[in-house]
Amino acid sequence: MQLMYSVLVVDDDPAIREIFTAFLIQKGMSAIAVSGGRECLDLLKNQMPDIILLDLMMEPMDGWETLREIRNHPFAGQVPVIIITGKQPVPADILEYGGMIEDFIGKPLDFVRLVACLPQTLEKIRDLNRTAAQKQEAGMDPARIAEYTRLLRLVRITTTLIRRHKDKSWAEQVFLEKQEERLAVLHAILGFPDRFLAWDREG
Amino acid sequence: MPPASVFIVEDELIEAEDIRQTLENQGYTVTGIARSGELALEYLRTARPDVVLMDIHLTGTIDGIDTANRVRTLYNIPVIFLTAHADETTLARAKVTEPYGYVLKPFDERELHSSIEMGLYKHRMEALAKENERTIRVLANAIPDAVMLLDEDRHIIALNDAMARRLGLTYARTQGEPAVRFDGNGMFTSLDFRISTVFRSGLPVRFDEKNGEGWFEISLHLVERLEGSGQRVFVQYHDITDHKRFENQLKKEGMTRIEQNMEQFQILNDQIRNPLQAIMGYVNLDCVRNQERIMEQIKLIDNLVSRLDQGWVESEKVRRFLLRHYRDNPDDNPGTSSPAGDRRDAADVQRPCR
Repeated sequence: MQLMYSVLVVDDDPAIREIFTAFLIQKGMSAIAVSGGRECLDLLKNQMPDIILLDLMMEPMDGWETLREIRNHPFAGQVPVIIITGKQPVPADILEYGGMIEDFIGKPLDFVRLVACLPQTLEKIRDLNRTAAQKQEAGMDPARIAEYTRLLRLVRITTTLIRRHKDKSWAEQVFLEKQEERLAVLHAILGFPDRFLAWDREG
Repeated sequence: MPPASVFIVEDELIEAEDIRQTLENQGYTVTGIARSGELALEYLRTARPDVVLMDIHLTGTIDGIDTANRVRTLYNIPVIFLTAHADETTLARAKVTEPYGYVLKPFDERELHSSIEMGLYKHRMEALAKENERTIRVLANAIPDAVMLLDEDRHIIALNDAMARRLGLTYARTQGEPAVRFDGNGMFTSLDFRISTVFRSGLPVRFDEKNGEGWFEISLHLVERLEGSGQRVFVQYHDITDHKRFENQLKKEGMTRIEQNMEQFQILNDQIRNPLQAIMGYVNLDCVRNQERIMEQIKLIDNLVSRLDQGWVESEKVRRFLLRHYRDNPDDNPGTSSPAGDRRDAADVQRPCR
C-alpha cells in the first residue's frame, strides 16, 4: 500500500495549482496549494507537508526568499523542497541555494513522472535524514553533518543540471571539483554509507 | 594725407634753422625746435609730432641717445638721428634705442627726405603689426579653449591666456627670452609623443584625455611656414567635461533600461511556461486522443522559449560586461585602459551561442 504523502504546491498561477493538486490527488496523495511565499509560511505554522513544490518568480516574496524563510522556520526547517519554475537556473543561485533543495526542475515538466518518482525521492530523503540523526546521536559534530548534507545536495543538483542542460561551464562556476572533494572528505570522516554518493548517478 | 610734422632737437641754432628750411621746402611742417634733451621732452609732453629729428650729441644733462630712448618708450614717436661723426661706441648705444634712421651731417637734402619717409613708413608698419598682434591676441583669448603654438624644439611660440593659466605661465614670461620650453609638466603626459607624430607625419591628431575632474578633446595641427623656417604645431585643448558627463548619464540610463528589459524578458519566459505546463497537465489528466501530438507541440513551444532563455543568458553576460565597464568606471576610456579581467569577459561575450 502506498503511503499517504502530503504535498504543498506554492505557485502564483491558479491553473498550475489546479493541475498539480488534481494530479497529486489522482495519485492518492494529499495536496494543498497556496499562491505565494507568505501564504506558504503561514500554512507551515499549522501543517507539516512531506515536501514542498516551490515556484520561483512570485510577488511580493519570491521563491528563494521563501526558501530562506522555510529553512529558518522553527518547526518546518527540514521540509524537503523541489523548485519548479519557468526561470532558467543560474550558477550563482545554485551555488547559494543548491544545498537547500532536492531538485530544480524547469516548466513545463512531465508531472506524471515527477509524481511517480516522488515516493522514491521522499524515501531517499528520509533515509538521509535518519542516517544524519543517527550520526548526531553517535556524537558527531552537527555542523559537519549539516555541511555534508548540504554538499551532497549541491553536488547532486549541479551534476543533474549539467546533464539536463548539457552545459559543462556550470562545473567551473559552481566550483564542482572543490565541492566534490570536500564532500568526499566529510563522507570519509563521518562514515556515511556509499549509497548517498551514488544518488547523483541516477536519472 | 596732411604733410608730416617734424620736431627738431638740435643744440646748434644755425644748423637747426637750416634743417627747418630744408624740411619746409620739402613740404613738411616743423612743429618746433628744442636745444636740449630736457626741453625736447618738456615739449613732447603736450605735442605729438609725426617724427623727431635728433642730434646725437646734445649739450645738457642728457644726450640725444638717452632722449631718443625716452621719446620711444614714453611717447612712441619715431626718432631719426642726426650725427656728424659716428664712432662705434655711440652707434652701438644708438642701436639699442631702435632708431628709424641715421642722417649724416652735413646732410644731403634728398637723403634727409628719404630717411624721414622711410622712418614714417617703418613706424606705420610697426604700428600696424602691433595692432595685428593685439587683434590676434583678442581673438585667441575670446575662445575658451586653451591654445598654443610650439616649434620643433618644443618652445612655446605663442599661447593664449587660457593656456598660460593651464601651464602656470604669465604673458610677460612667455614674451621674454629665452623662449619657454614646453615640458608637459605632468599635465600633458600624452601630448609629447603625439607632437612628434604630428611633426613627422604632418597629419592632424585628435584625442580625448582626462585631466583631474575635467575631460579635454585635444587637437594637434601642423602649421606650415615659409621654406626653411621650420614647422610648428598648433595645440588646442577643448573642454568637453559637460559633454562627457551627459554621455555618461546617457550610458547609465541606458544600462538601467537594459536591466529592466532583461528582467521583463525573464518574467515573460517564466509566464509563457505556466500555460504550457497547464496545457500539458490537462492533456495528461483527460485527453487521450491526440495526446502525443499536443505534447509534441508543447515541446516545440518550449524549445522556442528555451532559445529565448539562451538569448537571455548571453545577454546577461553582455549586460554584466557592460555594467562593469560603464557603471563602475563611467569615466574610463574603454579603448585605452582595459584590465585583464575585462578582456576575459569580452572574450566570453564573443563566444557563439550553443
